[in-house]
Amino acid sequence: MSRLSLKNGAPKEISDEDQCPVCKSSRYLNRNMRFLVNPECYHKMCESCVDRLFSSGPRVCPVAGCNRTLRRQRFRPQTFEDIQIEREVDVRKRVAKVFNRREDEFDSLLDYNNYLNEVEDLTFNLIHKIDVDATEKKLKAYEEANKAAIRENEVLASQETQSLQAQEAAEKEHARLRREAALREAEEERRERAEGRLDVINQLARGEGNADEIARQGRRTLLKKSTARRVGTGDEMDTSDSAGTGLQFKGLRRRARPEPEKPFEPFGEVTVEHEYFVLKGHYAWDFLDTARTSQTYRAGGYDISEYCSRALTDAFAGLAVFVGEEQTAT
Amino acid sequence: MAVSPLPGTMPSAGANGSLKPRPLTMLTSNPAGSNSLVANTQSSNINTDISEQLNEEERRRYVKGKKLGEGTYAIVYHGHHRDNPSKLVAIKKIKVNAEFRDGLSFDAIREVKYLQELSHPNIIALHSVFSSKNQNLNLVLEYLPLGDLEGVIRDTKSVHYGLADIKAWMNMLARAVWFCHESFVLHRDIKPNNLLIAADGEVKLADFGLSRSFSDPYLNMTYNVITRWYRPPELFFKARHYSGVVDVWSMGCVFAELILRTPYLPGGSDMDQVTLICKALGTPTEQIWPGVEMLDGYKAYAAISSEAVNPPPPKQQLQGLFGTIGGQGIDLLLSMLALDPNKRATSKQVLQHEWWLTNPRPSKKEALPKKGGGLEKVGEDLKRRGGEIGDGDGRGEQVARKLNFG
Ligand SMILES: Nc1ncnc2c1ncn2[C@@H]1O[C@H](COP(=O)(O)OP(=O)(O)O)[C@@H](O)[C@H]1O
Ligand SMILES: [Zn+2]
Ligand SMILES: [Zn+2]
Repeated sequence: MSRLSLKNGAPKEISDEDQCPVCKSSRYLNRNMRFLVNPECYHKMCESCVDRLFSSGPRVCPVAGCNRTLRRQRFRPQTFEDIQIEREVDVRKRVAKVFNRREDEFDSLLDYNNYLNEVEDLTFNLIHKIDVDATEKKLKAYEEANKAAIRENEVLASQETQSLQAQEAAEKEHARLRREAALREAEEERRERAEGRLDVINQLARGEGNADEIARQGRRTLLKKSTARRVGTGDEMDTSDSAGTGLQFKGLRRRARPEPEKPFEPFGEVTVEHEYFVLKGHYAWDFLDTARTSQTYRAGGYDISEYCSRALTDAFAGLAVFVGEEQTAT
Repeated sequence: MAVSPLPGTMPSAGANGSLKPRPLTMLTSNPAGSNSLVANTQSSNINTDISEQLNEEERRRYVKGKKLGEGTYAIVYHGHHRDNPSKLVAIKKIKVNAEFRDGLSFDAIREVKYLQELSHPNIIALHSVFSSKNQNLNLVLEYLPLGDLEGVIRDTKSVHYGLADIKAWMNMLARAVWFCHESFVLHRDIKPNNLLIAADGEVKLADFGLSRSFSDPYLNMTYNVITRWYRPPELFFKARHYSGVVDVWSMGCVFAELILRTPYLPGGSDMDQVTLICKALGTPTEQIWPGVEMLDGYKAYAAISSEAVNPPPPKQQLQGLFGTIGGQGIDLLLSMLALDPNKRATSKQVLQHEWWLTNPRPSKKEALPKKGGGLEKVGEDLKRRGGEIGDGDGRGEQVARKLNFG
């Protein structure tokens, strides 16, 4: 109700936004007061409360009815005014870490979008505390079943940023410009995506009065969807659950991406075999001695073994050729 | 020098995998079967008719197109297979050299002899050999339309490249040289304008006019090889017996040039060249190069007989010049440019160096910067560079191509 009176332009009274719900001190008295939240329960409290209550170890949240145990180091400043959104961002981060498939892993854009939809449903459930246990289980199962792929995509993503930096440092003008352009593009895309996400959040944030309505609507459609799913694909759910994945996405390529590049091979995977002989360090051959011991030969860099291996190849190959010729002659 | 039957078509070998160097004695036999006897420098006329006929057949398989460029001893034409015009080739017509009665120069014969031995992705492929009516020798070569590495290095206006590109080019060069040496062939004329570029960006070592097989210990080798700017000190000192590392020195000079985008040691004369080497890399002394004073040509150089002995260059100086390739890169470069050939890296050691495995990974050949301007411009460029050769302001006068077998 205080919110309503505020909106109506009533003289600004101390709202709950400015007051610590724990110690009841207010910003009005202490301009520097900062609020912290703990992602365990998102109950906000002022910094000095946190100091006072949690410096001697973990303990239960002081908010009545909340029985979560909180640790001091997990408290952090509240980024968003709305605690709901603060929590939502965290949930999204957590889900995105697990569901980190890339567009190029899907056969078509449609498949990718369906995947994103599915993930959004899951996220929505968690944010709005619908079917939390089942949803968490699904998330866990998916994470278990796709460990390798998740890790791989993580590596890919970090490699992309890393190699961008490395190349940037090493290469000159053109190459650098080219990569900078690529970087900009990637940056923009990322920003757009982030903005898109923020958009949803902002919409929610802006539409304060309607937030409940939006949430209720969302919940209703979601319920519809999940019942439909339960009805339509009951069997599937069972089998896939027992298979341990819980979630299956259509059009996901079976690791169709080019396999990670082999390490660079300086010789170009070419080997040369001198099949007839193994070169010995020293050939006892008087004829070679002068060459071996002469200072001028040595100073010029003459390498007797180069000659030896050539001479031996010639000699052995010569035999082979003669045998061949004799055979064709008969 | 007896050079007898030159095989005609070359069996094409796979690009990768295990390649065996064909021993040189195989040349006297005929690996391609009956399709041989194209040019015979000995006057055994027994099979003249048959060889004429085969030669004619070989010649008719190709259609010669417009002139691509002209070098010291050859004119290069565009060409294609008669039965498949999309299969492009370069036809290199060796100019008649009056000194050789049979109309063939030693250089040309050498090129054929060694090129057909070497089947490797980074070595220009020789498809066929035939002689034309007036006894000119024609080499049918792989067509390499994107000019050469010199063009890329010089075009500072429109070609920009970085460390990963240098690494890719150097690696292709190193592979080619290593394969030559494994096959007992010294190239002896490695320089950027003998590194031609294929349509897919692959660099190919070309121009085997000066190449020869590793020497028998009692045959003198000529020291008058390798274009001056890329020639190692032992050749200025008239070493008569040297090894594959002469090519490694040239590679080092190409490496430095790729980084600097200007020739590293552009001496105006042999005297000047040795002075430049001493300044850049230190004066060769008995201490750092045991036995060097015994070499015939050693004392002839002013830089060496003068009092001032240059020490090897300090690390910072090299860091300043070549810092972009990193510590390991500089280490590799210096191992290629060791004054004492006995201390210089072999081509195999070059490829075993860890620099190749450091970041950044060499660029993929398709991603390498190309000389812009399309085919026509490249063609013009070839002409220009072809014409420049021999006049003073080009890449230094070419070394004499007449070889001295001692
Ligand atoms: N295989 C080829 N494909 C396309 N152009 C070539 C080929 N071989 C040589 N050329 C060009 O033709 C010109 C003459 O070649 P060459 O006689 O080898 O010259 P050089 O004496 O400079 O080595 C050069 O400019 C070279 O770039
Ligand atoms: Zn408080
Ligand atoms: Zn709480």
